[in-house]
Amino acid sequence: MEGTAATDAGHQRGPRLSKDARPGGRPPGSAQARSSAHARRRGRRENLSGYLFMSPWIAGFLLLTAGPMAASFYFAFTDYNLFDTPQWVGLKNFSDMFADARWQKSVEVTSKYVVIGTPLKLIAALGVAMLLAQSRRGQAFYRAAFYAPSLIGASVSVAIVWRALFTDDAVVDRTQQLFGMNVGGWVGDPDWTLYALVALTVWQFGAPMVIFLAGLKQVPRELYEAAEVDGAGPWRRFWSITLPMISPVLFFNVLLETIHSFQIFGSAYILGGQGNPCGPADATLVYTCYLYQQGFENSRMGFASAMAWMLVVAVGLVTAVLFWSQKRWVHYEETAR
Amino acid sequence: MMYEIPDTGHETLCALVHFPGCVRFPEYDSSVKSRGEPLRVSRQVERRTLLKAAGASLASLGVAAAGCGGGSGSSSGGAVTIRYAWWGADDRAKRINETIDLFEKKHPKIKVKTDFQPYEDFWKKFNTQAAGGNPPDVIQNAVTFLRKYGGRNVLMDLKPQVQSGELSTEGFRSGLEKFAEIDGKLLGLPVASNSMAYIIDEKVYEKAGVTPEFGWTWDDWLAGMERIRSRTGVAGETGPHSIMYYYDLVLRQKGKAFFTEDGLGFSKSDLETEWAEAVKRIKSGLYTDPKKVEQIKPKSATAAGLSAGEFTWDNFTVRYDSEGKSSYGIAPIPTTDGSKTGQYLGSLMLSGTARTKHPKEVATFINFMVHDPEVGRIMGYDRGVLATTKQFEAFEPTDKVSKQISEYEKQIAEKGVLETITPHPAGADVIEAAFLRVATEVSLDKASPGEAVEKFFSEAETAFTANS
Repeated sequence: MEGTAATDAGHQRGPRLSKDARPGGRPPGSAQARSSAHARRRGRRENLSGYLFMSPWIAGFLLLTAGPMAASFYFAFTDYNLFDTPQWVGLKNFSDMFADARWQKSVEVTSKYVVIGTPLKLIAALGVAMLLAQSRRGQAFYRAAFYAPSLIGASVSVAIVWRALFTDDAVVDRTQQLFGMNVGGWVGDPDWTLYALVALTVWQFGAPMVIFLAGLKQVPRELYEAAEVDGAGPWRRFWSITLPMISPVLFFNVLLETIHSFQIFGSAYILGGQGNPCGPADATLVYTCYLYQQGFENSRMGFASAMAWMLVVAVGLVTAVLFWSQKRWVHYEETAR
Repeated sequence: MMYEIPDTGHETLCALVHFPGCVRFPEYDSSVKSRGEPLRVSRQVERRTLLKAAGASLASLGVAAAGCGGGSGSSSGGAVTIRYAWWGADDRAKRINETIDLFEKKHPKIKVKTDFQPYEDFWKKFNTQAAGGNPPDVIQNAVTFLRKYGGRNVLMDLKPQVQSGELSTEGFRSGLEKFAEIDGKLLGLPVASNSMAYIIDEKVYEKAGVTPEFGWTWDDWLAGMERIRSRTGVAGETGPHSIMYYYDLVLRQKGKAFFTEDGLGFSKSDLETEWAEAVKRIKSGLYTDPKKVEQIKPKSATAAGLSAGEFTWDNFTVRYDSEGKSSYGIAPIPTTDGSKTGQYLGSLMLSGTARTKHPKEVATFINFMVHDPEVGRIMGYDRGVLATTKQFEAFEPTDKVSKQISEYEKQIAEKGVLETITPHPAGADVIEAAFLRVATEVSLDKASPGEAVEKFFSEAETAFTANS
């Protein structure tokens, strides 16, 4: 139960409230007139209509998600170029993958991106959330303003604008020059392109920020007051009150953002520029970028499917490790319910 | 027991995050709840509306599915529709649409639906469509893809249509008649020819006092670049990592070629020498700083003023002229021995696809596009110098760029330097992309020439195996 506290809390709302809402929907006077069989029939009918409501989603899930997933699982063990019938090759795709220099490169780039980008984004999110939590006026405005990049950040147009910001003599380059840095445009230099991508990610800190903000507001004021009386400074209060109190929210954010980071594709594909997808000299060759190239440019669908399942396994492992680690650092409030 | 996200927080969450538990039921809002009885009414209405919506979405799913399966050639009132796809940009689209209007006027029973993308996207889309058994009926095609899609029976053999008289293979300029014939199958007809050229920034060349002449050697070329660098400060050349066909020329001058019928036509040491030399020239400033070249892609570095010239297809002069501020000219390809340039006529062609339901109409369409003089007048040299004599003569180049291209192709034809092209093996497109990427790694100093060569050869091998 504890495990998915944050998510559970989310799930809880619909059903819990629906119970609350039911008396309002039915006039209490007629309650005793209803037999239990009637209720059961009614229940079944409600189930049926429930499924009916879900049917577009279920059909979509089966046709567009579950089916293709099953197919891709099969293709992962075949040699499949889209044209000829798939040939069973066993684990060859996987052994080829591990031996492939570009696959290794894509794992390296993705790891770098996840390990650097995710913490920076969360730090930015938490920092701004803490500032906003203190402000009394205009909070809604700032919240919306900081959130906006999250809404548009993954789009193609933003990636194109971002690329323009990081070329020679553009905004970033000029600013660097003011500080005597002579790096030039980031997007032409394979050593720097990935950081332009990281910056793009960090800029979209709005979503975790809003979640942090919600968590921060939940921390009881008394704790801070008591700590202040005891002479605790701001850092002490942050480490001993804020962080432990919001650790479930932090956990939720870490989990979500890590998984998101593994899936980055669009901006990485575009940032390298047209005619140069996935960056100069594979600088932003993130995992999904390579997967896409293998599948749709090189027509190696079997290999691409194997890569996709490898990603599922990797993300699953990372998630498992995060869940395992939360025993050590995530504190759930003990409240009797 | 449970950590609970506060209500306000949750609401914000729901509004902002795609969260499984975040379905918001308007009727459960506290404001509505207090109203009691009326709720039921509103609920039923909502259910009905929802059911309707669900029905509608199901119906649209059905329509979409029908649209997928339907494919080409829904005939209405005796008219046949064929789909025609090409790569290019807006200005090409404008010309092509004009030619299609003309075609539809003369053949009122055939309707043409069009679709176009930039080069790379075009082939990705076509590949997926072809794999799904639903390719367009007619496509613009290039030599790189003949074997790939010919071997997979995606392309239509046009021979029967030639025999039945729908399609004429007569009247092509010399060197183009049998352009797309592979293993006894005719897989396309050329619409225009192009040849590799050295496009130069005329102003820079003039300022440096360098005049390229037919038969100039690589040494002359190098000396010219050095002079340009010292007199104008501009790098002489974009760097050959931007185009595979440059290296093809170098190899052809030595009696080799980039591709043989079924593999690579050069050795690892050939390529290592070439790349090592390129690295030196980048360091000495003869070639443009690759970081700058990368940043302005897909624009040309020469058009952007970053280099004095670059190897590319002659019809690209049209593009340079609109992209850049200087004036651009075509210089001949430098040679090893003073005469052999290694050039051949490349060409864009039109191909039909094998699964079309209307092979006759496809043939009629291709025939019209290839032979009709009016089409030639409309298209001009957009795709290269027009392939049939009739179209070639119908178009009188008036602007400077078209005149240059025409002059250039006339010149290389007269000098007799044109060789025949070997249709590339299947997988050539993937290998070309790999070649450019790995070459870029070398030029950006992310791999030594030796490492890069190994990498390229192993990727090439994978591509050949995957496409065999």
